[in-house]
Amino acid sequence: MRRWLSSREALVTGLLVLLILITGLINPNVLKFRSLVEVVNASLSLLLITLGEMFVILTRGIDVSVGSTAGLAAVVLGLSLNLGWPLSLAILAALATGLVAGALNAVGITLLRVPPIIMTLGTLGIYRGLMRILTGGSWIENLPQNIKALHLWHFLGVPFFVWGTLLVLALTAYLTWRARPARYFYAVGDNPEGAYFLGLPVRPTQFAAYTLAGLFAALAAVVFTSQIGFVSMNAAEGYELKAIAANVVGGVSLTGGVGTPLGAAVGALFMTAVHSMLIFLGVPGIWDNALAGVILLLVVYLDYHVRRTLEYRRRQARIQGEAAWEAEGGPS
Amino acid sequence: MSRYLRTWEFALAVLLVVEILVLGAINPTFYDPENLLYATLDFMHILFAALPLTLVIITAGIDISGVSVMGLASITLGLAWVAGINVFLAAGIALLVGALAGLFNGLLVAKTDVNPLVITLGTLFMFGGLAQGMPALLDFLGFKAYGSAGLAAYQYEGITGLPEAFIALTEGTLGIVPVPLLLVLAFALVLGVLLHRTRFGRYLYLIGDNPEAARYSGVPIVRALIYAYVLSALGAALAGVMLTSYMTSARADLGGDALLPIITAVVLGGADILGGSGTILGTLLAGAMLGYLRQGLLALGVTNDLIQVVVGAILIAAMATKQLAHAWGERRLKRRALAKRERR
Repeated sequence: MRRWLSSREALVTGLLVLLILITGLINPNVLKFRSLVEVVNASLSLLLITLGEMFVILTRGIDVSVGSTAGLAAVVLGLSLNLGWPLSLAILAALATGLVAGALNAVGITLLRVPPIIMTLGTLGIYRGLMRILTGGSWIENLPQNIKALHLWHFLGVPFFVWGTLLVLALTAYLTWRARPARYFYAVGDNPEGAYFLGLPVRPTQFAAYTLAGLFAALAAVVFTSQIGFVSMNAAEGYELKAIAANVVGGVSLTGGVGTPLGAAVGALFMTAVHSMLIFLGVPGIWDNALAGVILLLVVYLDYHVRRTLEYRRRQARIQGEAAWEAEGGPS
Repeated sequence: MSRYLRTWEFALAVLLVVEILVLGAINPTFYDPENLLYATLDFMHILFAALPLTLVIITAGIDISGVSVMGLASITLGLAWVAGINVFLAAGIALLVGALAGLFNGLLVAKTDVNPLVITLGTLFMFGGLAQGMPALLDFLGFKAYGSAGLAAYQYEGITGLPEAFIALTEGTLGIVPVPLLLVLAFALVLGVLLHRTRFGRYLYLIGDNPEAARYSGVPIVRALIYAYVLSALGAALAGVMLTSYMTSARADLGGDALLPIITAVVLGGADILGGSGTILGTLLAGAMLGYLRQGLLALGVTNDLIQVVVGAILIAAMATKQLAHAWGERRLKRRALAKRERR
C-alpha cells in the first residue's frame, strides 16, 4: 500500500485531481460530469500515441516520428474514404500504414543499427513529406459522414472512443503486467546485454516496440480524424514531443525498463488536462506550450530531488549499520 | 597525407564538390560564384545553430531547444526595438537572452542526472511558448508590444519596419563574399580553436567518451557542460538575429522547421550521437552540403516536401552506412586476430 502511494502514478494522479479541483474552485463548470468526460475525450489521441511510445522508451529507445506516422495514417484514412472505400477497410488501411511505418523504423534500428533518435528523426521528415506529397499539400475535407459518426456513438453518456481507449489501456496494462513476452520490453530496456545473455530475443523485442508505436499512432489517427472531421497537413505535428513528455511525466524512464501503461496514460491525461483547464480559466491558448514545458521540467526536477534524497538516506543508513556492526566486534 | 585523405571530413569535402558539379551540370546558373556564395544566406541559420551543437553532442548530450531560442531571440530583438532601444543594442540583448537560455539548459543538465533530451524538450516548449506569449503578455501589462499595425498584423507578419542599417547586416558584402558567410566562418574558426586546440575542448571529448574517467581525473564537468550548452544556445540566438535581419521581420516562430536539418548537419558531419567524436569542420561541410542540396533541388523545381523526404533519407543512409561499415570492420579485425592465433 505504501509503495503504491509513493509511486509516480499516484503522484501525477494526485496532481491531476488537485489541478481539476483548483480550477473547479474558480469555474465550477469543470466539475460537471460532461466537462470531465470532454477532458478525457480530448486526451484520447495523445494517450494512444503515448502508450505506443511507451513500449519504445521501455526498451531504452526513442521514437520522434510517431506524430508524422499518425499524420500519414490519417492521410491514408482520409484518401481511401474519399475514394469510396468502406469504413472498415479504410481504417484497416490506416492501421496498416502505421504498422509499416513503425516496422520501417524498426528495420533501420535493429537491422541497420542506426541510433533510434537519428532513424526516427529521419523518418519524421520522410513521413511528413510523404503525407504532403500524397495530398499535394491540401487538406482532406468532405470526409463521408460514417467516419464522423464514429465519435458520436455514446454508451452511458460516454463516447465510444473513450470506452475503446480504456479497453486498449486495460489490455496493455494487463499484458505488460502478466504476459511473459510483454515483460521482455522491461528486461531489454533495463539491461540489454543481460537480456541477451539470458537468451531473450533482444532485437525482435525492439522490433516489436517500434512497430507497436506505429500501430498506436495509427489508432490515434483514426480517433482524431473522426473527432475533427478533416485532415490538416499539420495533423498530429509535435505529438511526438508531447508523447515523450507525457511518458516522462507519467514515470516512464528514458533510461529504459521503468514505467507502466497506467503511468503513461495518466501522464498523457495530465498534459491535456493542463490545456483544458487553461481554457476553463480563460487563459489564452498561446501559453499552453510554455506551461507544458514548465510542468515537464518541474516533474523531472522533483523526481530527481526525491531520488537523490532517498539515495542519501539509504547511504546514511548503511554507514550507520556498518558502524554498529563494527562496534559489536566487527568481522570475527 | 593519406591520413587526411581517409578522414570523414575529406569524404564530405569530395561529396560537396561532386554535388555542386552535378547540380551545376544540370543547371548551369548554379556555377556562378556569386550565386554560390549568396546561396549560403538561405542556410546560414542552420550553420550558426549546428556548429556549437557539435560541442554538445560530443559530450553525449543533445540540445533540441535551439529552434525555440531562435524565435525567442528574434522576438526579444523586435520587442526591445519597439520599446525604443537602438536596434543593434536590441540584438545584443537578444544574444544575452539566448546565452541565459543556454545557461538554464546547462545548469539543469550538469547539476542533475536527467536525460538532456528531456530537459531540452521541456525548454523547447518553454522558450517557444515564452516567445509566442511575450507580445500578448506585454500588451496585457499595458506596454506597446508590436509594430504600428497592431496585434492582428503582428500575428500575421511579425514585427516589421526594422531600421535599414540592421537589414543591411545580411545584405552587405566584403568583395563578393556576403558578410553573414564571413560571420559563419569566423564563428566556426573560434569554435574550432576552442574544441580542437584548448583543454576545454579535450574535456568535452573525455566527458562524452567516458564520464566516469572524466570525473575521477578531476575534469570540471559541470563548468564544461554549462559552457557547451551556453555556446549552443548562443549560436541559435545568433541564427535568430541574422534570420531576423534576412527576413526583415522579428517573429516568434522563426526557424521552427530547422530542427531536422540542424541535427542532420551535426550527425552527417561525423559527430557520434553517443558522444566522444565529432569535428567543427565536419559539421560545417555537412551543413553546406545539405544547404546546397536543398538550393539545387529547389532550383530544379523539386518541392519542399520531397526535399524533406530526401534529407531524411540521406540522414538515415549516411548513418546506416557508417554503422554497417563499423560493424564490418570490427568483424574483419576479429577474423584477422583469430587467423593470427591459429597460425601460431
